[in-house]
Amino acid sequence: MEMKLEMDGTVAIVIASGSIDALTAPELANFINLQIQDGHTRLVADLAGVDYTSSAGLRVLLGAVKETRSKGGDLRLANIQPDVKKVLDLSGFTSILKHFPDRAAAIASYNG
Amino acid sequence: MPSQKKVALVIGSGSVKCAAALGLKQALDRAGIPINMLVGCSGGSLYAALMALNVPTEEIAAMSARLWTRALTARANRRALWQALFPKLAKFDSSFSLRDDKAINRQLQAVYGGKRFEDASIPLYITATDFMTGELVTLSRGDLLPAIRASLAIPLIFPAVQHEGRTLVDGYLSDPLPVSVAIREGADIIIAIGFQADTQSHLSSLMRYTFQFTSVVSNNLLKSNYAFTSLAHHSEVLLMVPEFEQRVRLFDTDKIPYVIQVGEREMGKQLPYLQQLLSN
Repeated sequence: MEMKLEMDGTVAIVIASGSIDALTAPELANFINLQIQDGHTRLVADLAGVDYTSSAGLRVLLGAVKETRSKGGDLRLANIQPDVKKVLDLSGFTSILKHFPDRAAAIASYNG
Repeated sequence: MPSQKKVALVIGSGSVKCAAALGLKQALDRAGIPINMLVGCSGGSLYAALMALNVPTEEIAAMSARLWTRALTARANRRALWQALFPKLAKFDSSFSLRDDKAINRQLQAVYGGKRFEDASIPLYITATDFMTGELVTLSRGDLLPAIRASLAIPLIFPAVQHEGRTLVDGYLSDPLPVSVAIREGADIIIAIGFQADTQSHLSSLMRYTFQFTSVVSNNLLKSNYAFTSLAHHSEVLLMVPEFEQRVRLFDTDKIPYVIQVGEREMGKQLPYLQQLLSN
């Protein structure tokens, strides 16, 4: 899995691609935790390049949401692909996470 | 060297759609991946039990097509009307059902009669629901017949089953996809195949109304329980909720070959990742 960070004002955008599963989840969790430790608590995860998430991926997302929210921020999702959306819907995640059709809308939601 | 990780297959409720588990099993067999534990709920119990008894896939498909026919619900339970209208006089109790259960009992007896959990070559767990408490009940010892009959006891449609001092109904009522059983029994990698119940296009009869009611409850329960178990498990839950391009209704056993293909396709998507997990 590949990850990179872009900034848009105070919003940190985590751009991930590949699968989020038990083999890659620790790497993603570390990457997100580093951003939070650096003071970036308003996060957007751009999932345009993520084609699969397993239960291990869900645990990473939940951990990040709880961590950012406890620090006054949030993790918001953008560009969720259909197979990933299905898992997020089935696990109830779309009811507790804010998600947007594209990155711009997710970033703009922090300014609303 | 074979993997030390314990693999469980959990087959959720879904009537004929549960045959997708056969396609999934075929894909696992071809890849040489053994299943170490089977959990079945409702329609899933029919397939889990036969897999655990080592019945070949083709034979299971044929047996389930013979077993699961419209004849199972064809005959009304005439006493039900009297029980509904005059509960005291007609002695309304937990055995209430709109359909007569003689046909389903006969069909299940023909396939599972005389067989026991202890005959299974793969540890088998069948789930039902204690109707009086709502508790998920896991059955894993003794005769298979009452366990499967209980797991299939759709409330209002078939009578509850009195078993070991409990009043048992369909397992979907407490958990349509009992991943929790596999977690508790020590599974590492859990392959879970579940099914969203179809909603009715129109509510023109009491049966349709009943199915709609149960589908809504069951689908929401599937989501909430999966949310919990996916976060609670220490290892991986590979969830499959197949999408069927063709509508597969309660007794569409003629579609079993198609359903098996869908299951095989779904497993095929996750097979490379599963192989990686097992070799890791």
